[in-house]
Amino acid sequence: MAWIAKNSAGATIVRRSEPYLTPALKAKLEADVLPRYPTKRAALLPVLHAVQHEHHWLPAQALEEIAAFLDLAPAQVLDTASFYEEFWLNPKGKYLIMVCQSLSCELMGQKGLLGKISRKLGIAPGQTTPDGKYTLMTAECLGSCGSAPCALVNEVLHENIRADNFERVLDTLE
Amino acid sequence: MPLAQPVLCKRIPTYPWGDPKDRHYVGYDQFTATGGYVGLTKALGMAPKAVIDLVKEAELRGRGGAGFPAGLKWSFLPPEDGQRRYLAVNADESEPGTFKDRLLIDFDPHLLLEGIAICMHACRLDTAYIYIRGEYHAQAKTLNRAIDEAYTHKVFGEGSRLGQINGLWPTCYVHRGAGAYICGEETGLLESLEGKRGWPRIKPPFPAVAGAFARPTIINNVETLAMVGPILDQGAAWFKSLGKGRPDGVPPTVPASFGPKLYGISGHVNRPGVYEENLGIKLSTLIEDHAAGMLNGKKFKAAIPGGISMGVLGPDEYHAELDFDIGRKHNCLGLGTAGVIVMDQDTDMVAVARNIARFFAHESCGQCTPCREGTGWMYKVLTRVEAGGGTLDDLDLLLEVSASMGAMPGTTICGLADGANWAVRTIVNKFWPEFEARVAPTRSNRVSLAVVGATH
Ligand SMILES: Cc1cc2nc3c(=O)[nH]c(=O)nc-3n(C[C@H](O)[C@H](O)[C@H](O)COP(=O)(O)O)c2cc1C
Ligand code: SF4
Repeated sequence: MAWIAKNSAGATIVRRSEPYLTPALKAKLEADVLPRYPTKRAALLPVLHAVQHEHHWLPAQALEEIAAFLDLAPAQVLDTASFYEEFWLNPKGKYLIMVCQSLSCELMGQKGLLGKISRKLGIAPGQTTPDGKYTLMTAECLGSCGSAPCALVNEVLHENIRADNFERVLDTLE
Repeated sequence: MPLAQPVLCKRIPTYPWGDPKDRHYVGYDQFTATGGYVGLTKALGMAPKAVIDLVKEAELRGRGGAGFPAGLKWSFLPPEDGQRRYLAVNADESEPGTFKDRLLIDFDPHLLLEGIAICMHACRLDTAYIYIRGEYHAQAKTLNRAIDEAYTHKVFGEGSRLGQINGLWPTCYVHRGAGAYICGEETGLLESLEGKRGWPRIKPPFPAVAGAFARPTIINNVETLAMVGPILDQGAAWFKSLGKGRPDGVPPTVPASFGPKLYGISGHVNRPGVYEENLGIKLSTLIEDHAAGMLNGKKFKAAIPGGISMGVLGPDEYHAELDFDIGRKHNCLGLGTAGVIVMDQDTDMVAVARNIARFFAHESCGQCTPCREGTGWMYKVLTRVEAGGGTLDDLDLLLEVSASMGAMPGTTICGLADGANWAVRTIVNKFWPEFEARVAPTRSNRVSLAVVGATH
């Protein structure tokens, strides 16, 4: 729920000396992404995607670096980043499993599937396994209603899922 | 009459013309070898205004949900002033039940790129952004692959066959969203494109006047643009010979249902998928012929006609014609995206309503109180009714809350609230006995909020 305000007042920012937005990444973004847009701010979503792609999630320090890079206030970057569910402001597991729960998937057995995955991993939706390997989430429509039920595992879409097969898929993930 | 030849699915094997197993990515060479970019060549031989007039004459209606006539939208642009103008292609496709744009992007992306190029020429737009939902990872890659080919072959970029537009070589980029349904709403999309949260804008100004970066902007759905190439190639009369046409007795100013359309069908059917058919195909035909009938031979109970925002069709609407006039005839919001979700006799409609309310409560952007609070209430009330703890008061409240939220009652900025409103209201109304049987038959004689308002 995008509109739920996340209380960040008083949060301490963990810092490290090494930047998240590395000079190499900056150079790449300056060459490939910034020229696409008439304003720097418009590059914010692609830049957030790029940093998250490298680091897996978006620490506060990374948001500050992105703000400096795009001439924005850190609050503006946080405002945007916190609106979108794909941007992770907290660490997530190595494998993010997003099980679609919208209508076609629910009609085709999503509830049972989610329950089985949840039991197998020993976590409820919204949680990460203690070893940091899997994060389980429910998702709204993934645009795959004709092959329901479906789930995204990181960037890979799994369609027409049968619980036993899917459990085997999860087992093969390194 | 069924569609004789596929148009959008010409290169995408689809029943009854081909087997989906044979689908593969169609690159630039195969696309041009099979008649691709002919429409663009024809368009480039015409004055921009003549292209707009042709699309207007074809009465191509938007395929993204609202059904607004595309040519008319294009003609709203102000005269050129030498400054930049944009095309935002809506590939956000997040409405539950909808998975049609994905088919075009996966297998025939040049059909979209051709439409984009024609639109840029006609409307004098120098830059196109394809706003694609973040979850479409593979599709974003496919689009980039096709765009690279299009640059190589001078559709876009320096030396483009379109020539310079507004003093710039035309460019086309993929812009990835990040998991927010509301960015499919056209002005939410523009805000997101500008790097902000996807909060829909209050209109006017309309995007044609002040859209992306406060400049004139056209926003069209993927399927709408994909249809433009074939129209340029084969003409408005050809396009209008397909589909259902204009409803009987209405004046020519009423938008009609011309042309073919992609129908996505999912839920309790044997062969779910995307099918191309003439606008106006019967729901029963789509289920029986295309989707190979109801799953496990069960009986039909209900269907969503075009994405969950549109409301529901009941058991007596099995033969409903799926065209742009469906809203008036069948008391639903409209054809929407033509993403049909079919439900069989065993489906619990209370659970369906709860699922839908949860979606909207989750996706409301939170700007407007009636939408933010209303969708949340509906979800909570329906959860209670589903669990067996509801009373008749709850059903009254549901109908009251839903009737009061939306851009049409005039209480919200965008149409998300109307979608939530129609979905819940039509399900409760069309399946009232089922809802009534689930709640305790008590009313508290509580005074309705609407009545309180009226006494002032
Ligand atoms: C809440 C909401 C979500 C929408 N989502 C989409 C979408 O995902 N894709 C789309 O093409 N149109 C979507 N629309 C419709 C767009 O606002 C707009 O009407 C459409 O993109 C215009 O293109 P068209 O005229 O070619 O259909 C949505 C509208 C609303 C109110
Ligand atoms: S109607 Fe809902 S989704 Fe649309 S702007 Fe208002 S709060 Fe946001």
